[in-house]
Amino acid sequence: MAPTGEMILKASAADMRRGRAFREARIVLAIRLAFICLFFGLWESLSRSGLIFQDVVPSLLNIGQSIIKLLVSAEFWKNLQVTAFETLTALALGALTGVAAGILLGANRFIGDAFEPYVYYLSPTPRIILFPIMIMWFGIGLASKIALGALSAFFSIALSTAAGMRQIDKVLIRVGKSFRATPWQMATKIYLPAMRLPVFNGIRLGFGTSLITVLLAETKLSNQGLGYMVMSIYNRFDMAGLYGLLVIVFAIAGLGNMLIGKLARE
Amino acid sequence: MSSLFRKPWFPVTFGGMCFVAVGVIVEVLLRLGILNRYILPFPSEVLAAMVRVIEEEDILGRMAVSGMEMVVSGFAVVLVGVPLGTLLYRVRVLRLAVEDWIAALAAAPIVLAFPLFLVIFGRGMGTVIALAFCFGLAPVVLKTTEGLVGTRQVLINVGKSLNMTSPQMFWEILFPSALPSIFTGIRLSWTFCLIAVIGVEFLVNIGGLGQLINDLAERYDMPATYAAITFVILVSVLFFILLERLEKWLQPAR
Amino acid sequence: MSGEKQAALVVENVSKRFGDAEESVLACDRVSFEVKPGEFVAVIGPSGCGKSTLFNIIGGLLGDYEGAVRVGDVRIDGPHPSIGMVFQEESTFPWRNVIDNVAFPLELRGVDKLQREEKARHFIDLVGLDGFEKRYPSQLSGGMKQRVSIARTLISQPEILLMDEPFASLDEQTRLLLGDKITQIQQQLKQTTLLITHNLTEAVQLADRIVVMTYRPGCIKRIVNIDLPRPRTSDVVGSDAFGHYVAEIWNDLREEASRGMQDSEAIARADRRRV
Repeated sequence: MAPTGEMILKASAADMRRGRAFREARIVLAIRLAFICLFFGLWESLSRSGLIFQDVVPSLLNIGQSIIKLLVSAEFWKNLQVTAFETLTALALGALTGVAAGILLGANRFIGDAFEPYVYYLSPTPRIILFPIMIMWFGIGLASKIALGALSAFFSIALSTAAGMRQIDKVLIRVGKSFRATPWQMATKIYLPAMRLPVFNGIRLGFGTSLITVLLAETKLSNQGLGYMVMSIYNRFDMAGLYGLLVIVFAIAGLGNMLIGKLARE
Repeated sequence: MSSLFRKPWFPVTFGGMCFVAVGVIVEVLLRLGILNRYILPFPSEVLAAMVRVIEEEDILGRMAVSGMEMVVSGFAVVLVGVPLGTLLYRVRVLRLAVEDWIAALAAAPIVLAFPLFLVIFGRGMGTVIALAFCFGLAPVVLKTTEGLVGTRQVLINVGKSLNMTSPQMFWEILFPSALPSIFTGIRLSWTFCLIAVIGVEFLVNIGGLGQLINDLAERYDMPATYAAITFVILVSVLFFILLERLEKWLQPAR
Repeated sequence: MSGEKQAALVVENVSKRFGDAEESVLACDRVSFEVKPGEFVAVIGPSGCGKSTLFNIIGGLLGDYEGAVRVGDVRIDGPHPSIGMVFQEESTFPWRNVIDNVAFPLELRGVDKLQREEKARHFIDLVGLDGFEKRYPSQLSGGMKQRVSIARTLISQPEILLMDEPFASLDEQTRLLLGDKITQIQQQLKQTTLLITHNLTEAVQLADRIVVMTYRPGCIKRIVNIDLPRPRTSDVVGSDAFGHYVAEIWNDLREEASRGMQDSEAIARADRRRV
């Protein structure tokens, strides 16, 4: 159906809604601020009163100080570098193998039928338990963490690449063939642009899983990296420092997630 | 031969056979001394160790512990998550305010906070359950809200045209319409819970199946470690398949 | 036809404006017509003439309007029990099988299971779906699903059946055949019916009277009596008289439809500039 009067009505309705949305946005902002204030207020009063969780809830001031202290310490940046290197290398390896495997699974019906169920059902299994094997194969250094991270990222990237390959609108492929595009042109002009979003989405998910796996592996057996740092702060029973470091790591994870999401949309 | 190819079970079986073949090849390469037998045990030894692990390491007891943690955190997640998701649907501004936060929570590396949970809940089941709960909560909340919001307007109009009361509207139209999405949320949440339970058990060496792997690895019992890992992976895969079956079975002819 | 009888449904100077003081659209402009008991009236107009708005007002889903829609002595400002609505979109409940879908309104009223299933079977027969009682909507074709919706509406035995383009998503042949079904049911039940549509042949095939609306603001351009013989079947589309009516109404509609088209093209252009 051609764009019709209904559309006009909707368009003007959208204009009208704008006023309401503006009012709503202010309420939403108010609620968010209220939640944040409430949370901080409760936290601080709990910390000051010392009624329950006495040693577990340090003052916000202390946490803030510890965050700043961490951000200016050389130790934090050194460990961040290690974790970032491990995660990004793992992600690159996972993406390379994952996209390749995904293309195979998506392109060939038989290969897809034969192996995708295994990839699919293995993908949500807890990966950290493979760490002992990775240590046997790659030692206790960075390599075992990278391998585990790559393995973690592989599954979601392979699955979403395969799904993306299958989701391509068949008519686009027919259009390409009708213009007698070469296989290379088909790949670069039709398949890749059409699959961009699912592949990036897989990489975004893969980033999350490989980051957490790398961090957890570092807490288990390592002498560097942010995961190691979490454990050493924990062993010193420095609660404020522990909260501070966790806040920073969560922020980094969120930021990375957002960055890849943005990259995908461009 | 070509008719064999067309059988629906053939590709999956073929895939499984490939894994078996890899196992056999590894066995042969190990025996020939091409692969290093100090980092890779003989697959035949792993199989034998499987029996040993099941018999000697109190697998059933360990499964009961992990299962217990799963059940408690899993039900807590549903009992809290579904009402919370409904609340977010009911109060639109609240949803707009916190939905992004919950989504961020779902992607956050919460398990890394396990030292914190250790301090608060002590070294025991409490820590495992609390962490699994926090890790698994977000999907069921988000999917409940998504399902309710996604109720087609025309179905709501049908309800209005029949002058339905607000509770009738919720139980007869909104809830059944959202149910498939809620089930998906529960499946995702329980998957998260399982990952957290096994992971934390392994990391802090408490409780059930996760600890077993840690124990065996620390004893340098290589075949048994491989066997236990294989066993846990098999159990989780079975769990996922069961969840999926359950999800499909609970909604006939949709 | 006993023209003396009180009208079943009266639409009186109904206007509806969307928006606020700064910017608004007049969707309906002083629309007035009546539907007599047992009569089949169709409202036809180009897309964007406010047909759906009218449907929502009469059905009570849009309370805030000027003028009056009356059933008996009651002014409609919420869903009225004597009006049964059939929606344009597929509106069966996917989680209920056919018989439970059809029995749904009775279930709300607390009718016991045996009784409501018996009645549901009757209406399932009426729309020609006997044998499909235990099927779920996902196992039915689009035309069958729409018939389930119609049966679900008819089971409450509404005085007035109000339908909004119920066949819009179906193909032409199914539409003609379902039209036959509707005609047959309407004659059998002496069902007062108001059909909202943009389909010319459908309107002429089914209606006793056709209300032709203009493009925005939607007001009545003309009311045409269709004097085609009853009982009527889809064979009527071949007759000269049918062709005559279609041509006549198209003559009125063409101008409105092309105004609508120009408008939407203008908007599309404006949109592109905005982007």
